[in-house]
Amino acid sequence: MADDNMLDNEDTQKDKYLTFHLAGEDYGIEIKYVIEIIGIQNITDVPDMPAFIRGVINLRGKVIPVMDVRARFDLPNREYDDRTCIIVVNIDGTEVGLVVDEVSEVADIPASSVEPPPKTGKSAGGQYIQGMGKIGKAVKILLDVHKLLFSDEMKALIAEQEEGV
Amino acid sequence: MGMDIDNDQIEIIQEFVTESQDMIEQLEPQIIELGQNSDPETMNAIFRLFHSMKGSAGFLEFDHITRVAHAAENLLDLIRNGEIELVPDHVTLLCASCDFAKDALEKVDSDYTDDSMSDAADEISAKLHDAIEVAKGGGEPAAEPVAAEAPPEPEPEPEAELEAPKEEAAPTPAPSSAPPAANGELPKLEITEEMRLSFVQEGNELLQNAEQGLLAWGENPEDTESIGDIFRQIHSFKGNCGFFGFSHMEELSHQMENILDRVKSGSKLAVENPADQLLTALDILQQGVNDISDGKDGVIETLEEQLKQLQLLVPPLLGEFLVEEGVEEKAVAAAVETQKKPVGEILVEKGQASNDQVDNALKKQQQKLNDAKKETKPAARTKTPAKRQDIRVDLGKLDQLINLIGELVIAENMLIHNPDLVGMELENFNKAGQHMSKLVRELQEMAMSIRMIPVSGLFRRMIRLVHDISVKAGKKVDLELIGEETEIDKTVIETITDPLVHLLRNSLDHGLETPDERVASGKGEKGTVRLQARHEEGEVWVTVKDDGRGLNREKILEKAISKGLIEGDGSDLTDKQIYNMIFMPGFSTAAAITDISGRGVGMDVVKRNLEKIKGKIDVSSTPGKGTRIDLRIPLTLAIIDGMLVRVGTTTCIVPTLSILEAFRPTMDQITITPEGDELARVRENFFPIIRLHEILDKEPDSKELPDGILIVLEYQGSRFCLFVDEIVGQQQTVIKGLSEFIGNVAGVSGCTILGDGGVSLILDVGSLVESAESKAQDVELF
Repeated sequence: MADDNMLDNEDTQKDKYLTFHLAGEDYGIEIKYVIEIIGIQNITDVPDMPAFIRGVINLRGKVIPVMDVRARFDLPNREYDDRTCIIVVNIDGTEVGLVVDEVSEVADIPASSVEPPPKTGKSAGGQYIQGMGKIGKAVKILLDVHKLLFSDEMKALIAEQEEGV
Repeated sequence: MGMDIDNDQIEIIQEFVTESQDMIEQLEPQIIELGQNSDPETMNAIFRLFHSMKGSAGFLEFDHITRVAHAAENLLDLIRNGEIELVPDHVTLLCASCDFAKDALEKVDSDYTDDSMSDAADEISAKLHDAIEVAKGGGEPAAEPVAAEAPPEPEPEPEAELEAPKEEAAPTPAPSSAPPAANGELPKLEITEEMRLSFVQEGNELLQNAEQGLLAWGENPEDTESIGDIFRQIHSFKGNCGFFGFSHMEELSHQMENILDRVKSGSKLAVENPADQLLTALDILQQGVNDISDGKDGVIETLEEQLKQLQLLVPPLLGEFLVEEGVEEKAVAAAVETQKKPVGEILVEKGQASNDQVDNALKKQQQKLNDAKKETKPAARTKTPAKRQDIRVDLGKLDQLINLIGELVIAENMLIHNPDLVGMELENFNKAGQHMSKLVRELQEMAMSIRMIPVSGLFRRMIRLVHDISVKAGKKVDLELIGEETEIDKTVIETITDPLVHLLRNSLDHGLETPDERVASGKGEKGTVRLQARHEEGEVWVTVKDDGRGLNREKILEKAISKGLIEGDGSDLTDKQIYNMIFMPGFSTAAAITDISGRGVGMDVVKRNLEKIKGKIDVSSTPGKGTRIDLRIPLTLAIIDGMLVRVGTTTCIVPTLSILEAFRPTMDQITITPEGDELARVRENFFPIIRLHEILDKEPDSKELPDGILIVLEYQGSRFCLFVDEIVGQQQTVIKGLSEFIGNVAGVSGCTILGDGGVSLILDVGSLVESAESKAQDVELF
């Protein structure tokens, strides 16, 4: 029974991406990582953090860090407004909030419609791309959440923090 | 098997072959592993393999496989029971047996018989037998006592049997399959730990049942059925005691049995209901059982007294008094025999006793009864609680519980400090609120205590370590353990085990001098290492202290410079800073790498593990006098009292424990040094000022010191002032870790959730002090 459910879940989550808006582009992340989407709320600053770690929020008693995806990609800052959302993702038990401009929808993008990421990688965001998803004419940049959160760069930053203690 | 192999059998054989092959494949690496460390689990697994193979092969009449498996099994059994020691040759032999089995299985697979393996089987089983003989001959003297202490239990037998493939088809026809008992020696009736345990368990149960019965009977004396039940319980208990030879307990329970027997048969007792006295005796027995479970021998020191007490319950016989009064003994006896009427009456009737005599005797009997009643005092029951009972709980569940309680504290704060209530006069609400706060606090303390275990277990493990190292290093040492009862969170204990091992190794290896050196420097021959745990400043401190040669500042400095860990000649560094360098990776001052320590790993493990639990290390050392290392561990998940302070729009929590005082400074209290450091004068002292807004990088209401508040904080003797805009209030604070994603943040020890749902950082006074100090000295260590 439980197994069936698991399979169902796996199945229903396959090829599904949560898409969001960021600086004029559409991005997507695999739905299986997403726990929930909340509106922007008070973020408590944490000193000595890289600029893209905005601080921490209280998610029903849990304190989770919040990363500004714009800042992560070195995109220009933008005031938060009432469309700004925090997508809470859970990767291997670590919960992190991702601040995005606007959440759009859950889209079905079969693997056959996903192109490998471009090799240019000029921008800071380049290395976090998992693939380019095509829905009709529209293109969604599919992000590798793992890399987004745990890239070597991030690790180095954290290590730096720890050294400082 | 011959010719008459039908399809069914072929199927069975094939199954046997594949299963056995699988098992061998799995176990081969384990056999190798066995050569490196003889883990009993591995040993058992390998034993089971050969055992099942033997069983199945026996059933299928592959005699050669059976023979070899049997021989291998014998060898393993002897090793397992500690009768012979495992040597590399054995591993080789076992591997060879596996190889043989593989070959044989292949043959079986193709020919359905292992006849062709006869020679190989002879060879390998002969080798195995030889190995056993040789090992037995050589290892006997050492192995014997071990064997006697723990008679071998052929325990895995049934289990192995079950796993044997095809066992459902027929029982293994191998009568020799039971591993031969050690040297054929019959186990003496010695009380093993296991027997003791089962005695204690059963005893507890019996006594508990008896107690319940007694209590029920005490309430309802007419209930003779329960007496029978109690009697049976005590009787079985007596039997057990007798069997184990706990004679005192046997005697006492025997006496209880007597009394109960009397009650059962309806005889009168000195008191109407002896339940109290019996319960007392029961308690004594319970105490005895507890003693036994503690490994003592269940001696009841007050046995005589207890027996007397119980004896008093038995009413003296009228006849005895009559004899005293001068009535002939025989007559009394006869009267007793015909005892249909009261003895006295009969005697009077028969003219053998006068009425007066009988009256007197009756009076005396009555008096004696009364005396007895008085003497059998209603027994102040000193209730000995049954042995503490433990249950095993998944640590995850406990964590969840503690988290929930943390949430409860926050919810309570939200409720009681609810902004909607501001300005209202709510007397009853406040009362209810206070009551709830109290309960929540108790709940929280209880939950925290669940996770705490005393450090004694950890400390005791170190005794062996210290012993071994001191022998190896040729040093004489006394290990003092202090504060073993101090309780620390279980996970913390696990985390500091390694650091403690490293610290002790270091103390013994580098810190303590050899006996000769010690005598030469005027110290006692024996060094002392003290391991101490205690609560201090809201933390648990675990201290390792030795009276050895102390740390050598010059040597450490030299090493640090040569390794490029510091710049310059380091003359501007404090002792403390230099001593702390021993915890840097790759640092070792030992001139020679010894067997025990000196490779430079280890001390950094200490630091790393301590950081994991947000602990700190303090080193202090006096050359020639010794070194002292304090591991300072915060109480985990503590809920602390905090002072909420504000800078601009940001609030922070300062642990109340470290606050000495707070005041609004005037300009003349402030001094600015030529370097630009600000100092505040508090009475006769000057303290450095740390501006919170600089740490948090926030815009304060005002940067002018007189506009804000200075909070004097103390941490381990160093004091400093923290400049904030305002103190908002005090509150219970549940410490929550900042996400692991963020890691450690300088100056912040965690965060908490405020009544309004916002997150607030908790300041780490310790690291603020450090930054104040390094600021004051303008030295950068790293």
